[in-house]
This record gives sequence, structure tokens and C-alpha cells, in this order.
Amino acid sequence: MNRLPESERSDWTDLDLLTREEAHGRLLAEIADTDVRLAGLGDGESDRAERELQQSRLRALREAADDLIDHSKKD
Amino acid sequence: MPLQPWMKLLSTDDHLIEPPHLWTDRLPARYRQTGPRIVEKPRGEGQAPAEVWVYEDRIYPYIGLNAVAGKDPEEFGLEPTRYDEMIPGCYDPKARIRDMDLDGVWGALCFPSFPGFSGHVFLDGKDRELALLCVQAWNDFVLDEWCPTAPGRLVPLAIMPLWDVDACVAEIHRTAAKGAKAISFPENPAPRGLSSFHTDYWDPMFSAAEETDLPLCLHFGTSGRAPKTADEAPFAVTIALFGCNAMYATADLLFSPVLHKHPKLKIGLSEGGIGWIPYLLERSDGTWERHRFYQNVNQTVRPSELFHKHFHGCFIDDRFGVENRHHVGIDKITWECDYPHSDSYWPKSRAYAAEVLADVPDDEVHQIVELNTRRLYNLPA
Repeated sequence: MNRLPESERSDWTDLDLLTREEAHGRLLAEIADTDVRLAGLGDGESDRAERELQQSRLRALREAADDLIDHSKKD
Repeated sequence: MPLQPWMKLLSTDDHLIEPPHLWTDRLPARYRQTGPRIVEKPRGEGQAPAEVWVYEDRIYPYIGLNAVAGKDPEEFGLEPTRYDEMIPGCYDPKARIRDMDLDGVWGALCFPSFPGFSGHVFLDGKDRELALLCVQAWNDFVLDEWCPTAPGRLVPLAIMPLWDVDACVAEIHRTAAKGAKAISFPENPAPRGLSSFHTDYWDPMFSAAEETDLPLCLHFGTSGRAPKTADEAPFAVTIALFGCNAMYATADLLFSPVLHKHPKLKIGLSEGGIGWIPYLLERSDGTWERHRFYQNVNQTVRPSELFHKHFHGCFIDDRFGVENRHHVGIDKITWECDYPHSDSYWPKSRAYAAEVLADVPDDEVHQIVELNTRRLYNLPA
């Protein structure tokens, strides 16, 4: 079989794929940022909607991060 | 905050990685052993084998990317070379939607990976019948499987059998009838050995794009010609000059007969930023004013007029372009995310867009992140 040189077929971009490790690291960073945002919210009525939104986002971020870890453990 | 929670972020440049059975599931039995399929190749002791695409008798390494050119070989190992090394949102549309939700992104137009962003890998095909079936299979995957996972959120883009303009016309009509919203086309076909924008070869295809109201998406890099200054130059030079390819494509089309013969043709520049646009238009108008008389260029319409009638640009983080948005044209700017590439800001794309657009009035932000894209690609709200 011929091996076509990558340089002849590539779109030659810098478009590396996010790896699982990179993606996991970004999720952890976002989880930490969201924790900080939540801690900064008050107890008042005006912050309640934002708190619910951030809590829901936090759950989703944690689930996604866990899934990436679970998958790599299975490997 | 100008980026309001109710505004839906629509990305005009994302990417999908083809799942391993895309072609084997769709090609006729006689072509399953020559059409694109995934095979395992040893990767060294203690490592799981790499998965690579094989198409006819050619191996296309690194399933997930177009990205190793310019890298040192020792860095290749850092790239995912197996599906289980990728994040599932690359190839699984349900996982993609979850990742878009995390990112605060509502919609995405996804370019191919293995076929090249404009489907040009199928130009390599020795068997043209197989190549056509491969193009159709990719389009059918997008139209029947990828996008229906989340109608209205994943926007179907079609690739073309670039070696045959009549087949392109047929594929445009076939895919438009199935719901395609855009066509990916090389930013400059000439370096790939195809007829240039300065010939009449592509006229039937451009007419078909007009008839179906499908924009052409010109993703940078699809000419296959990189902005490279010297063999010794670091790849950073090429990366810094990526936007130049969008400039080349724009100038090429503005001084070609294409937009004069096809007044309804719409062009989306996919990646490449927007900050360069005002300069290029000023320069193009100046060139036209002084030099049109002795050249085979249109004598009556200024290049900047053509640009504003036909083109849209897009950006991820072009702060200069955003600052100069009125010179670009507010209605000509779209937003992109570039998931799942590592230069995307996932999972903070929305937060980052809010930061970049912080000084832009709400109505203009809405145009940039959502409304212009809906108009360009005919996406109902």
C-alpha cells in the first residue's frame, strides 16, 4: 500500500483535536470557575435564578468530566 | 451584558469526525473493501494499535485530524489516533449536542475531516464511480443521521464530486431536496488541479447553488496551498498567516467573472477572521480604480460592492475585527466556535464570545451571533 504523505492531503491547519485529557482539564477548570461564581452569589431573590442556572451547569459539567474519566478507566 | 441569554449562538465553522462505519454501512457490497474503512496498524509495544483510514490502496493516517502537517513527528503521538482516544462529541451526534449545551452553543455547521474540509480527498479516487458514491455517502450521513439528531441545531453541509461539474450540479439538487443548507467548496480550486474561478467551468454548479439558494462555504486551507515562507520557517509563520488564504479567496473571486455572472451566489468564508476585510476592500477598490482599464475585469462594479452583496466572514476571537465591525459590515459577520479543535474555547465559548462582544450593542451582537447566520443559511428561528 502507498502511504500518502500527510502534507499532500492535509488542510494544513493548526486544528488539533481536543484530546480527552485536554477536554477533562478544561472541564475541571470550568467546574472550579463555576464553584467560585456560585460562592459569590448572595441569598437574595435576584441571585436565585442565577444560582439555579449555575448549579444546573455545574451538574452537567461534573457529569461530562466523570464520563471522560470513566471511559479512560474502562480502556 | 450585550450577549443576552436568549440569543442563540450559531457556529458557522465546526467539524465532525467520521464514525468508522460511515462508508461501510452505505456503500454497495462490491465497494466495501475499497471504499474508506478503518483498519488497525501497530503503534509500538505496549500501545493499542492506531486506527487509520484506508481508501482504495492508500492509507490516511490520523483519523481525527488534518493537523499533523508542520509538526515534528514526535508530537504526532499526542494526537488521538483511535476513536476511544477522542472525546465522543467528535463523532457521536448525541454527545456533540451535550457538548454544545455545555458550551452555550445552539447550532453548528460541521465540516468533514477525513474527506478534507471540502471533500477533496475523493479527488484521489482512481475509481470515479466509487468516489461519487463516497461523496454521496458522506452527504447522506450528514443529512440522514448526524443532523436529524437535533434538527435545527446541526446544520447540514454537503460536499461535492469535484472532478465533474455535472455531477456537482446533480449532487446539489439531490442534497438540497433532502435539506442541505450549504456547500463546501475549495477556497481556490486551481492548486488542486481543478479549473479556476477565472474560467466558465464551474458556471453550471454556481447556477445550481443560486437556484437552490445554498451558499458556498470556503474553508481556509481547502486550496491545499499553505502560506509558507521558507522550508526552515517555524509552523508559527503559517499559523499567523492563515487569514491570508481567506484574503486570497476573496480577491480571487472579486476580480473573477463569477459574481457578475451569478448575482445570487452567496459566499461564506469559513475561518480566517474578519479584521483584514476593510483593508482588502480598500486595496481592491483602489486597484480597480487604477488598473481595471487594461485588464479583463468587470468595468462597472466596485469590488467592495460585490463583497457586501455576496460575502460573509466569521471569527472566533478577532477583537480588532469586532472593533471595526462597521467597516466590515455588521450584516456580513458570523460567529464560529471551531469545536472540537483545540483552538476552540469549549466549554467556555459562550463566555468568551460575551467577553469579545462586551462593548457591542445588543442588537448588533444578535445579528453577529445568530441572525446573519440564519439569513445566510436559511435557518428558521
